Amino acid sequence: MIVLLAVAVGVSLGLVLQPTVPLDLQPYLPIAVVAALDALFGGVRAWLEAIFDDRVFVVSFVANVLVASLIVYVGDKLGVGGQLSTSIVVVLGIRIFSNAAAIRRRVFRA
Amino acid sequence: MAAVSEPSRSALREPVRARPARPDASMSLLVDLSVDALDPGYAAAAARKKAAGVPDRPRWALVGLTVAAATLVIVVAAVQTRASAPATAKSRTTLIAAVDRQSATVDRLEKSIAELSAEQAALRDASLASTSAGAALARRIAAAELALGNLPVVGPGLRVTLGDASASSGNSRVLDRQLQDVVNALWTAGAEAVAVNGQRLTAQSAVRQAGDAILVDFRPLVSPYVVTAIGSAVDLETRFGASRTAARMRGLSQLYGLRFDYARAGRLTLPAAPDATLRYARPAPAASPRGRS
Repeated sequence: MIVLLAVAVGVSLGLVLQPTVPLDLQPYLPIAVVAALDALFGGVRAWLEAIFDDRVFVVSFVANVLVASLIVYVGDKLGVGGQLSTSIVVVLGIRIFSNAAAIRRRVFRA
Repeated sequence: MAAVSEPSRSALREPVRARPARPDASMSLLVDLSVDALDPGYAAAAARKKAAGVPDRPRWALVGLTVAAATLVIVVAAVQTRASAPATAKSRTTLIAAVDRQSATVDRLEKSIAELSAEQAALRDASLASTSAGAALARRIAAAELALGNLPVVGPGLRVTLGDASASSGNSRVLDRQLQDVVNALWTAGAEAVAVNGQRLTAQSAVRQAGDAILVDFRPLVSPYVVTAIGSAVDLETRFGASRTAARMRGLSQLYGLRFDYARAGRLTLPAAPDATLRYARPAPAASPRGRS
């Protein structure tokens, strides 16, 4: 319930405030999106497996976003920012996919 | 990112060693990725809680805050993408409109240049006509301008038409080189004034290709290209028809279906060329007869 409420709050905040991302931060937006999706799916799976932990959830989300942004930042400085951001999307995408598959197995038992 | 460990609840403090060492252990990145998809921290925390016997009571405010932040990020990204997609299309149409507006301005300015120089020439002729020396000078100026291409001219001549073939293969288009050759052949054949699609050619004109279009004096022209040349119609036709360029163009037209024909014309009207701007050339210091005032 609280989670659903939080989702509603996040969506309405984004839609109402329509915040514009500063140009310097725009390369990190896709990374942040993928990291956020990864954290959400991981949390749902942990919840379904009855091992959910609030601290792990929060820390993994924040740390994933920060580390991923740092990697892209360093890559930008080295001239391989686009490639590194692709690699992060691939890695986190695989994780999202397998977490989603685990959730599906839990929910539908198939 | 995820450290390498098994997300099972019992094998927690001896993560790697408990597993039988695989020969590809150092290359198991992708396997680890899919096996350890869940953050191993969850398993660790669950085991810790089990060991300590603490009841499971998540701090919902914290979780809610994080979920809201994650959702916000996703929504912001979606909003951003939606907002910037029409912006690119919009900037494209704005650019096209700006280009159109600027070309219209250029056309208007060129027209006003032509009007002003006609007015200037009329005033100059009027002021020169008062004396006999001035009248002679005016005649010389008129002759020079005629040769320069600064005056519209009429006269008999030859009309040469080049056109792209209907088939759209690579060789079926008229190239700038062919147009140049035809123009040069006409000059060689004794043309006194030449224009392409109504663009008068002068000593400074360039015929060249830019992408799909042929530019004559930086104006894009499209097929068919009508080259009009003023001169003795019979001489022009004979010499141009006998030139190597005409022979080659006839061959191309047979091979690739390019349009190539020419005909004598009794009366051709060629427009004036835009005023030549000489940026570097200036009159030599020797006492030579002055051309234009």
